[in-house]
Amino acid sequence: MSLAQKYSQEIQAIFAKYPPEQKRSAIMSLLYLAQREEGYISQEAMKEIADMLEISVTEVAGVAGFYTLFHRQKEGKYRIQVCTDLPCALRGADSFLQELAQALGVRPGETTPDGRFTLEEVMCVGACHRAPVFQVQHGDTITFHENMSLEEALAVLKKLE
Amino acid sequence: MSKMVTLTIDGIKVTVPEGTLLVDAARQAGIHIPVFCYHPKLEPAGMCRMCLVEIGRPMIDRNTGQPILDENGQPKLQFLGKLETACTNTVSEGMVVFTQSEKARQGQKATVEFLLTSHPLDCPICDKGGECPLQDLTMAYGPAQSRFEYEDKIHLAKHVPLGDLIYLDRERCILCSRCIRFQAELVGEAVLTFDERGRSSQIVTVSDPPFDSVFSGNTTDICPVGALTTADFRFGARPWELKAAASICSQCAVGCNIVYNTRREARSDGRIVIKRVLPRQNEEVNDLWICDKGRFGYHYTESRARLTAPRAEGRPVSWEQALQKAAEGLRSASQKALIASGRLSNEDLYTLKRLADHLQMPAYLYTPIGGGEWVRRYGLSTGSDLSALGKGDAILVVASDLYEEAPLWYLRVRQAAERGAALIIAHPRTTRLERQAPHQYVLRYAYGDEGEIIERLRREAKIAQTLHEARNLVIFFGNEGMGLEQSESLAAACADLLVETGHAGRIHNGLIGVWPHPNAQGAWELGFQPIFDLQPLFETMDALYLVALDPFGDGWVRQNGRKPFLIVQDILETATVRQADVVLAACAYTEREGTFTSGERRVQRYYPAVPRYGDSRPDFAITAALGAKLGLNLEAQSAARLFQEIAGAFPAFKGLDYARLAETRPQWPPTGRADYPFSGTAQPNTQGMGKILSAVAEGTMTPLPPTMQKESLRPEEGTLLLVPIHRLFDAGSLLTPSALLHGRIGAPHIILHPKTAQEAGVTAGEKVLIEWEDRQAEALVKVEEHVPVGVGLVPRSMGIPLSRAARARLHLAERVR
Ligand code: SF4
Ligand code: SF4
Ligand code: FES
Ligand code: FES
Repeated sequence: MSLAQKYSQEIQAIFAKYPPEQKRSAIMSLLYLAQREEGYISQEAMKEIADMLEISVTEVAGVAGFYTLFHRQKEGKYRIQVCTDLPCALRGADSFLQELAQALGVRPGETTPDGRFTLEEVMCVGACHRAPVFQVQHGDTITFHENMSLEEALAVLKKLE
Repeated sequence: MSKMVTLTIDGIKVTVPEGTLLVDAARQAGIHIPVFCYHPKLEPAGMCRMCLVEIGRPMIDRNTGQPILDENGQPKLQFLGKLETACTNTVSEGMVVFTQSEKARQGQKATVEFLLTSHPLDCPICDKGGECPLQDLTMAYGPAQSRFEYEDKIHLAKHVPLGDLIYLDRERCILCSRCIRFQAELVGEAVLTFDERGRSSQIVTVSDPPFDSVFSGNTTDICPVGALTTADFRFGARPWELKAAASICSQCAVGCNIVYNTRREARSDGRIVIKRVLPRQNEEVNDLWICDKGRFGYHYTESRARLTAPRAEGRPVSWEQALQKAAEGLRSASQKALIASGRLSNEDLYTLKRLADHLQMPAYLYTPIGGGEWVRRYGLSTGSDLSALGKGDAILVVASDLYEEAPLWYLRVRQAAERGAALIIAHPRTTRLERQAPHQYVLRYAYGDEGEIIERLRREAKIAQTLHEARNLVIFFGNEGMGLEQSESLAAACADLLVETGHAGRIHNGLIGVWPHPNAQGAWELGFQPIFDLQPLFETMDALYLVALDPFGDGWVRQNGRKPFLIVQDILETATVRQADVVLAACAYTEREGTFTSGERRVQRYYPAVPRYGDSRPDFAITAALGAKLGLNLEAQSAARLFQEIAGAFPAFKGLDYARLAETRPQWPPTGRADYPFSGTAQPNTQGMGKILSAVAEGTMTPLPPTMQKESLRPEEGTLLLVPIHRLFDAGSLLTPSALLHGRIGAPHIILHPKTAQEAGVTAGEKVLIEWEDRQAEALVKVEEHVPVGVGLVPRSMGIPLSRAARARLHLAERVR
């Protein structure tokens, strides 16, 4: 089912926020909506958004491509995003990532066979002094987990259904 | 008149209108501030930081509002602590700018050094090498050595097709966004964008079809590096080996100014051949742009199907024999006629007309659109300029899809509308102009109701008011859904509207016919007559002299037993040539000189670019030689002298000659070798911007009442109405020799509304058999929402010989078998 059919009210509410001749401004909200729906933004969703906003699908892809938290590939249900930028690296983020990868049985960038987790390496998430740190992106929520050891991390993941 | 502002740049006092960008102000004073991302035709983006300069602004006393003076009585200047971009800052009174100070040079040098850190520097195999802004500005501003490790360079994909015609080299791209902005701002088709960000940014398209804008080639001219190249020219030649010949595009009635770049080369058997086409600046016609048909469609001039020698009865003969035969054929025929097309030059047409008059035979123009008589009388006149249209003016586009029929007019109309001109579109379906230009009014009418268009415009109070109040009014008319007679009536009705609203006979006002040929207007001006139906001619005449047309190939006539003596003069082997008794081999327009009159009535010169093929000759020379055999003395050598005769014989051409047509006027932005970084590789205009014909001295006459002599067909319940439409890329004999356009041309197809398709029981992609009158053809089905229900759009010259609207039946091709 298309987004417009499934979420017609929500979409109406989004459009109501912008003057009609500026409706392209609704692009971020619509991208969030699409990502919440499928965990990523599919080609079809981009096409649909482009038609709704009367802009080209390439323009939609440009915006989706600019933001690192928009994804255009279907991956695991939960995206575990470990920061390995310089300050975190100094607090052992690299080995933390390796251990976590081993425990999950995947390499960074890969998804577990059961489709639950995708392990990702990301740039600074703004918690440098509390590394090792990772965030879990799921639907339209992001949760932070700081000062993590491997055991604590696995416990966090276990609690996710 | 905007306020003027005086500032000082590198010690030079410059006075420019308020709001001018610093980079433009400097350029006007002859100071080149280096740029990569700035382009004078695009909105500034401040992407590349190459234009960094030091800017000082007078300090203002907050209490008095007056400048604070130093001890010498000079205004004190305030400099920001950092360099600023000259392409995003506008001028202000008393500003003092240093573009070459130690600090500015340092900033510019650092920018180049940064750009080069991830640039492959493969100049030796780069098509841009020799005319590359990055090369030039590196030489002028860059450091001689890089502090960056060569091995650390990021390597990216080098041959990424963005569409059929344009390739991207990701390593070379400096992320200036000129290509993105060109497509989004100027064309209105945002099919390019940046993906990712920072060091990972890349140019991409995810549109489907990908980069298929008809303006795509222009991005290769303004790309400041060799990142964008054309499939046609890439790895074809080095710029410095190329010679340039000024010319005029021959693919539509706009008359874009172009340059043919040529070279002699071994791989073309030592011949001098065309390597590429570049736009030639003419701010009154095509600015710095051309469409892809003009850029890539020239290959017909070097096609294997070129006629290289005259023929009689299917065998090659000498010119003497061929002309003798042709002359005999004409002399002994009691019923004869001449038919010529708007592909010929004014000089050719004039010569042909003289011959026709001498033999007392009619001279017909081969055209699907009528009404040139009206354009002759109510067209644009001397001094008119579409780029002068803006707020307060109105443009009416009737029954024409400008994007497909005359791309540069689409661009200019779109720009005028963006400047505030009222755009009124009357069309039976949604066209690209309607989707992508700001327009005030759309009049949707049904096929068959063309006779009422103008009347309905009059009746719509708002539209009528806009038309009446417009300072200037320009009307474009085409022939969608109409036969020749109907389009003639439409032209008359449009002329009538110009008179009624008080716009006739004024500069920047008038009627423009969207002809499919570059010089159809010239033929109208020189007295050629339209012919509604060719078939009877082929059935009743004893002899026909056909010049530059292929009525058999286009489906306008059919072989029906009796056949007149056919003299066919053309440059290519065509279906019509194969029917000929005598074939006269003409040379292509790229091999001689001449003039075309564009739809705007602008007469423009073109010059020889390459030598003649085989034993072919210019059309006017062939006709003159034929005339000589029939007792008529015509100029056979000099196109310039012929033009003088035209100027003497036709009042609209009075006072024009080849020297005046070669005049140029100062233009902005500057173009040429030193300005590649500024405006791209569009070529400067040194050989003539042409002149618009003067108004015909019948300004006071009112048009005949526009009566639709014959109504065109309209859709009816339960039947399918076939309507021929113009598409830019068709399978005509002039375009098929350009192999790289085949992807854009595609297969023969019919476009239906989803409902129509459903009723006919066909779906997109299926092959159907179309039957109309006593003809049939196969086509692929395309389904598009914008087509009116009950109508099947059939592109002309696409292998379906449909020349006018007709009722038809559809069958699935398989079911038929
Ligand atoms: S491809 Fe060329 S024009 Fe486009 S952003 Fe890159 S350098 Fe600029
Ligand atoms: S717009 Fe017309 S004249 Fe201009 S380049 Fe295209 S085909 Fe040629
Ligand atoms: S560097 Fe890891 S959170 Fe900032
Ligand atoms: S930032 Fe000014 S030219 Fe690029």
